[in-house]
Amino acid sequence: MSKRGLAIVGIGEVPTLRNPERTRWDILLDVCMEAVRDAGIDKNRIGAVISNNPMAQPGMQNDMSLGKIPEVMGLEGCRDIAICNAGGASTTNCLRLAEQHIDSGQVDFVLIPHTTVQSDIPPQDLINFFATAPLDKQFEYPYGVTFNGSMGLITQRYMYETGATEEELAAVTVALRAWGALDPLSIFYGKPITLDDVMNSRMISTPLKAKECNLLADGGGAMVVTSRDIAKEMGDKAVYKLGHGTRFMSATPMLREDVFHRQSYRESSQDALSQAGLSIHDMDLRQIYGAYPYTQCSALEGYGVCEEGQGAKLWAEGRCGPGGDIPCTTMGDATGRGHTGSGVSMAFYLDTVRQLRGQAGERQVQNCEHAILTTSGGSVMNTCTTVFGRAIK
Amino acid sequence: MSDYKKPLPEIQPYSQAFWDGTKQHKLLIQHCNSCDSNIFYPRRDCPKCWSQDMGWIEASGKAQVYTYSVTLEGVEQKFVEDLPIILAWIDLPEGIRMHTNLVECEPEDVHIGMEVEVVFRDVTDEITLPYFRPVKA
Repeated sequence: MSKRGLAIVGIGEVPTLRNPERTRWDILLDVCMEAVRDAGIDKNRIGAVISNNPMAQPGMQNDMSLGKIPEVMGLEGCRDIAICNAGGASTTNCLRLAEQHIDSGQVDFVLIPHTTVQSDIPPQDLINFFATAPLDKQFEYPYGVTFNGSMGLITQRYMYETGATEEELAAVTVALRAWGALDPLSIFYGKPITLDDVMNSRMISTPLKAKECNLLADGGGAMVVTSRDIAKEMGDKAVYKLGHGTRFMSATPMLREDVFHRQSYRESSQDALSQAGLSIHDMDLRQIYGAYPYTQCSALEGYGVCEEGQGAKLWAEGRCGPGGDIPCTTMGDATGRGHTGSGVSMAFYLDTVRQLRGQAGERQVQNCEHAILTTSGGSVMNTCTTVFGRAIK
Repeated sequence: MSDYKKPLPEIQPYSQAFWDGTKQHKLLIQHCNSCDSNIFYPRRDCPKCWSQDMGWIEASGKAQVYTYSVTLEGVEQKFVEDLPIILAWIDLPEGIRMHTNLVECEPEDVHIGMEVEVVFRDVTDEITLPYFRPVKA
């Protein structure tokens, strides 16, 4: 029997924090058990564990790559393990591999975990990691470029081409933090900020200010996925993948013709929407992982939500934040939730599930039936866009 | 010169000529003799046509600022003495875009579209890094 399609039926997540006493394994076990319990299945029905590679954490990477999770958790039905690394798009790759397992008919349920602790890594090592892993060690690194610097270069050009102002871009961070302030899982829960807070924060790499750069945090999440047919028997908890598209641009930012990724957002979203048989205007929620504010603008332009160059205005007008008519990135993005490393996009999927289930608390988007979600890895090497719905169309 | 503590480029066999060039204060661009394209950064094979018939041309050294960012903090300790660092992507008339630092100018004087020219700094006995500075009017 062919078991096509994918649905998310269980989720677990811990709040983002900076607290090295909460270990990688503490996070991992908590989120995995919560996700399995949320799915309401016996642990031994998990047929595969496909993990997000925890970059910059070699010990945990070995544990996850070499099979410790099913062994420690006693997952007696586990037939396979794998680990996926595509930087911030790792979770997307886990989902694609999970779907292949499920399509094969060999496995009914796949567990996809993510755990990261960055608070025990010296700051200088983290700066070095983010300056060398996704950037060129011959033609970028000798010039003192950091990840913030690299994104500052793109943001400066975005402002030049679109006329977006620093205040308009700062409004993106205000809105993302507003979502985070309403979310008990965010490191910024109860901590909204104002436009002045962003504008007056220290300049890091022009035009990016401290509040517009990512706080590296500890965190993790997990999900249980299954086939559409099985999910249908599991009731309201299921959220269905309706379509998916992806585009690769380049590893090195300076080589990218599609500097703001608009074309990549456009084509990947068109592929995903066309598979779903839906239009961008059918989407009730847009979840964009870009880590830096310009991506929240250029993604809307690429999706066709607004004209090219108008994305920042939508944020500045308050239309994308809480109470707005175009709710975007209720997860808060990394600037509004804390950046949890290469598995950062896990929380975008989990929050999308909450929204489609109607479990997003104060952040709940009303009548949320369809959501579009884009992740990216490396220095925005790609855009991976998925459409989810609370029912199969 | 040997007290240079900042990272040096990790030179590859197929980029050696580029760095031999900078040492002689020449900016060389890899050129594919089969499909006639200019390539940056240097690679073993032409990324357009997979030819291995690769040569080098000397760039004019002129360029235009495509974008820039002035970094004030958040760098590794070894770069702190250089702050503020003016990062830039520059477009060469040879059709390539490079990452560099703008030097011999103040951050407030930099703008997109600014005309710049290459300037070489011998950072160690072996390595010379190309930087760019504003073209004097």
